[in-house]
Amino acid sequence: MSSLLAVRKVSHNYPGHPVLDAVDFSADGGEFLVLMGVNGAGKSTLLDIVGGLRAPHSGAVFLEGRELRSYPAKDRSRRISHLPQGTRQELPFTVEQVVLMGRYMYADRWFESDEDHSCGEAAMRRMDCLQFRDRQYSTLSGGEQQRVLLAACIAQCPRLMLFDEPSTYLDVHQQLQCFSTLAELAREGALCIAVTHDLNLALAHCSRLLILDRGEIAADFAAGDAAADSAWLSRLSPRLRMARTPEGKPWVLYR
Amino acid sequence: MNAPRPVGWICGSILLFAFAAVLLPWIGPGSISLDRVLARTAPDYPIFVELRVSRTLLGLLAGGALALTGSLFQSMLRDSLASPYTLGVSAGASFGAVFTFALGLERLLGFPASWAGAIMGSTVVLVIVAGASWKGGQLSGVRLLLSGIALNSICSAFILLIDSVVHDHRTFSIVQWLIGSVDSVSYRALFVFAVVVAVASSIIISQARSWNLLAVGESWASARGVDIRRLTIIGYGCGSVLTAGAIALTGPIGFVGLIVPHLVRSRISSDNRVLMPCSLLLGGVLLATCDTIGRVVLAPAELPAGAVMALLGGPYLVWLVRKRF
Repeated sequence: MSSLLAVRKVSHNYPGHPVLDAVDFSADGGEFLVLMGVNGAGKSTLLDIVGGLRAPHSGAVFLEGRELRSYPAKDRSRRISHLPQGTRQELPFTVEQVVLMGRYMYADRWFESDEDHSCGEAAMRRMDCLQFRDRQYSTLSGGEQQRVLLAACIAQCPRLMLFDEPSTYLDVHQQLQCFSTLAELAREGALCIAVTHDLNLALAHCSRLLILDRGEIAADFAAGDAAADSAWLSRLSPRLRMARTPEGKPWVLYR
Repeated sequence: MNAPRPVGWICGSILLFAFAAVLLPWIGPGSISLDRVLARTAPDYPIFVELRVSRTLLGLLAGGALALTGSLFQSMLRDSLASPYTLGVSAGASFGAVFTFALGLERLLGFPASWAGAIMGSTVVLVIVAGASWKGGQLSGVRLLLSGIALNSICSAFILLIDSVVHDHRTFSIVQWLIGSVDSVSYRALFVFAVVVAVASSIIISQARSWNLLAVGESWASARGVDIRRLTIIGYGCGSVLTAGAIALTGPIGFVGLIVPHLVRSRISSDNRVLMPCSLLLGGVLLATCDTIGRVVLAPAELPAGAVMALLGGPYLVWLVRKRF
């Protein structure tokens, strides 16, 4: 039985400089992967390639054992959701309209079916935004907007969920809520992959970390083993030091 | 469950459109008697059929085409102030049409030469603007707007150049055309334009759900199964054909592509499944109404529909900018 996601020797260049160099890993449903690395390490590019938004120059991505590029776009989007970075804030739509966009690939008719509406409603209830379903998206705060976008991803009912810096612009409480939801989605069987720069937020919620350094996977370990060998910290900054919480969980200190 | 309300708005717009089509031809300097029209007696019958009805239909079609294109470009570029003007498409069409006036061409293959000029002009501008904005397999919105504005200025400069070089009655027809007016056209021309509008609008409106996703963002849309490249080609293709057709027949009529989508978006819905059909229908109603106002207020003189639209649309745009930005 092949794993849900297999990334095989993926390399990618932008004109003039290489971005990804033979990236290779696989992951299964139930895992919550966090992808970390310094700016320009290739995190977003890797996420785009895994999501099928960009074709790698060499190597391939396999979803449920089948090459990702061979999926028709709508079939692919029933299996993978992708939350892009920096969605503009003045979208001219209501909350419900944005969430129902997550049903685009299921509907083959002019207006959404009752099933689409109930999926959208369940997603909004889950992300605690059902109470402003009729409000204009642009009138919400940053944290509320992010919850709406997450609800749109959940309404898609995908097996693989990709999030590019989902906690940017959120206040501390919203960041924690956001990552708890991602961990919960993974526990329910989805494979979640998130890019973030917040070390402790990641360590407290994810099941596995991937450290990307100059286009290569520099480290790949379970979150519980993060303290065992802390050499990976130096890939992110020389000013980090590994410690433990009173409960014995890994915790990163700044110097 | 959510369907009745949007369907109601679309039906309301259809009714208003039909109402305008039936009512507006009767309004104008000099009353027209229904009896004499039915009896086909001069002068009422020819005035009604040759002038009033054809003008009203042209206003309805051209206004609809421009308003629909406005709402389309606003979704595609994720810019609430995008319109055929911002992309230089209408300036290109104007330049093409003015060029044929300057050459003194009247007809080409049985159609007005300005049609061919407008379609050539808008296509050339679109190819140049798209070519300049094409990078790494996709079109960049910012580049499109910037090169569109550049092409807009270049075309306007060429129009001024032609206008100052040509010195006879042609100057007058160029100036009159540039103001933008809904004049009587042949039914043959109207029929061709109606077919173009019907085909292009059906294609555009059938993709309404995809335009919604594209209005959020390109990676948002493509991650949800929208074929961005195909959609972009459809959008710019249909949009430029509609613009060129409307401009060839009426001259560069401003604002209708900006006002109507914004009115519909703020008063009815920003869902393109409702926004696009309503813009098409109400844009037609607005332009035909402006034309009717233009032929009544200063009768027997006529105020061109483009001027009426500018007088109404200019203040609205200023108010909009002040309110939103």
